[in-house]
Parts: sequence; C-alpha cells; structure tokens
Amino acid sequence: MAAAEELTLLEKLLGLRRGNKYSAQGDRQIPVLQTNNGPSLTGLATIAAHLVKQANKEHLLGSTAEEKAVVQQWLEYRVTRIDGHSSKEDIRTMLKDLNSYLEDKVYLTGNNFTLADILLYYGLHRFIVDLTFQEKEKYLNVSRWFSHIQHYPGIRQHLSNVVFIKNRLYTNTH
Amino acid sequence: MGFGDLKTPAGLQHLNDFLADKSYIEGYVPSQADIVVFEAVSGPPPAELYHALRWYNHIKYYEKQKASLPGKKKALSKYGPADVEDTTGSGGATDSKDDDDIDLFGSDDEEESEEAKKLREERLAQYESKKSKKPAIVAKSSLLLDVKPWDDETDMAKLEECVRSIQADGLVWGSSKLVPVGYGIKKLQIQCVVEDDKVGTDMLEEQITAFEDYVQSMDVAAFNKI
Repeated sequence: MAAAEELTLLEKLLGLRRGNKYSAQGDRQIPVLQTNNGPSLTGLATIAAHLVKQANKEHLLGSTAEEKAVVQQWLEYRVTRIDGHSSKEDIRTMLKDLNSYLEDKVYLTGNNFTLADILLYYGLHRFIVDLTFQEKEKYLNVSRWFSHIQHYPGIRQHLSNVVFIKNRLYTNTH
Repeated sequence: MGFGDLKTPAGLQHLNDFLADKSYIEGYVPSQADIVVFEAVSGPPPAELYHALRWYNHIKYYEKQKASLPGKKKALSKYGPADVEDTTGSGGATDSKDDDDIDLFGSDDEEESEEAKKLREERLAQYESKKSKKPAIVAKSSLLLDVKPWDDETDMAKLEECVRSIQADGLVWGSSKLVPVGYGIKKLQIQCVVEDDKVGTDMLEEQITAFEDYVQSMDVAAFNKI
C-alpha cells in the first residue's frame, strides 16, 4: 500500500477531516507532508505521529514513558524492517519474531491500543492476506493480534478482512 | 459450554486453548464476560499456559475499571468453547471429546472422572426424588357402553341424563350418540374413561340398570386400555 494511501486511511481512522496532500520523495517513495505553518514533514512515522497529535489522540502514542518508547520502537520497526523488505525469508523471520513477542501481550505495548498497532496492521496487511491457513496457525499469536486489531472500529475501512479459522486445523507444536 | 472447572489444570487448559486465537472471552473488547471468568480462576495460570497467562495479566490491568466494562454477567458455563463438558454442575452435560484435546486429557483423566462420578450421583439423586414425587401413572381404560331402552317410546334424552348422572371417583363420561337398532328403537352408545383401580364395569352396570324405567339392559361394546 502506498504511503499516501495509508496516511489517508489513518486520517479517516483518527477522525481528521482535512485531506492532506502528500507527496512522495525519492525512489523509496517516502511521504512528505507540507504543513500550513511550518516545515515539511518527512517520513511515515513522523507524519503519523503528527496526525495523532492533530487529532487530539495522544494516548495513541503511549501513556507512560516506557509505553511511548515501545510505540516509537515499533514505528521504527515498521519503517525499517517491514517497508521495502519483502523477500519470503525476511517476512518469515519478521513474523516469527513478532509471534514470540506477542505471546504474552494483547497489544504491541501490552495492554493498550496504540499507533504502533495501527501502523503495524497497515504494514503487515499485505503479507497476512497471502498467508496460508497453515502459516496463520503457525504464527498463532500474530494471527490472534491481527484478528483482534482488524475488528477495531474504523481501522479496516476498505482493506480486505483476513479470515482466521477458529478451529485448529493442524496439530502442531506451539 | 464453559471451561470445566477452572480450578483444575484441565479447566485452565481449556481456557488456554480457547484464548490461543482470542484476546478476550467474548468479542473484541474487555467485557463482563472476562470479569466472570477472571474471578473464576483462582490465580494467574502457570507460565506454560501462556495464552491464559497473557489474558489474565491483561484483564488484571483492567481490574479497577471492571464495573464499567460493557456486557452483562452470565453464568460461567455460558462462556467458552461449545464442546467442553460443563462440570460446574449448573447445566446439562455434553460429550466433550474434542479431537485436539485427547492427548491433553491423558493425565487428567482421573480427576475428571471423579468429578464426573460425583456429578452423576448428584444427578441420580435428583432424578430419584423427582420420580418419587411424580404421581404414579394411573391405569385407565376407555369403555364404550350400549344402553338399550325398553321401546321406541323411551325418552332417550332422559335416559342419557340418567346415565350421565352416575358419578364416581375415577369415572369421566365422554361423548355419546344414538344408534338405531331396528323397529325405531335406538340405543345409547356412550363413552367413558375409568380408572381401573376405582371403577369396575360391574358397578357401572349395576348403577345403569338401576334406572329400570328407562334402561332395559347395558352392554360393554368396547373396552380399551389407555
């Protein structure tokens, strides 16, 4: 999904009305937002955080200092590890890491829904959509988290709903 | 439904499996359903049941807000996978052979069967007491009586009235009709239901033929056990 598209989805989710114009920079198509009164903002994570503040939903960036740090960590993860890396190997490693990370957490920060969850959802959607049921079972925690997030009101919008089967089809070690 | 007894390892295992692909007991936000199950669990689940532990820690985080969570509290047995036997004793038992769980039940079989035994005995006792209270099934029969008048002049309406006036405990009169026999004479065919222990055909015959003015004779045309 193009960055501009994603940011538009984010705007809608946050309830922001104004359709910002995003331009893209470089061959990596990094989004740039020209603000009304200030410098232009570059970078998905930066713009997303800015939008959150604009929408007065700062809790989405984390409440405690640790939580804020975790949110930033995942935003960084999203931009560096997910975008631009689409070899099968990379995806598998990523999902494996994410799976073990999510073992004891409901949301990426633990107990609260944050921008980290949102951007990871948008970032991973195109990969999860292509997973086989067996793989979805293998990365059980990711599946659970993804299934949970996509039900958050307003987040999915026009993206396809990924189906996760409740009954385990494959007996596997977990 | 239900998770079985959440104070046993088997119950926690069910909870764990249930929560493997869900964040909450019901739906996608914390609700009273989570609180009900949270309170039924006696403490944090062991570390190897990591889904249950994750859920437990997460719900614990909402403990202070628990009164404000959405939903209504239902009995514990209403939550959880549909095929788990409810051993909390509050509902009907369903067979719980879930294929995935066959291995896991291995060492927990003893505990389960003890519980199941206790439950069965409880149920038996309930059944017995219910049975004894219930009235015994009464033996009844349906009779079809033919009452013949003296001649065609006899007032059949009056005759029927006389017959119906016979009251006895265990005797209920049914429908009747007039059947012509010949020469203008009609006999009264009347149905009745009697309880075998209380009313006998002899008694009926005696009473009916007592109306000598109207009744010439009485026969039992049909006798069916109900």
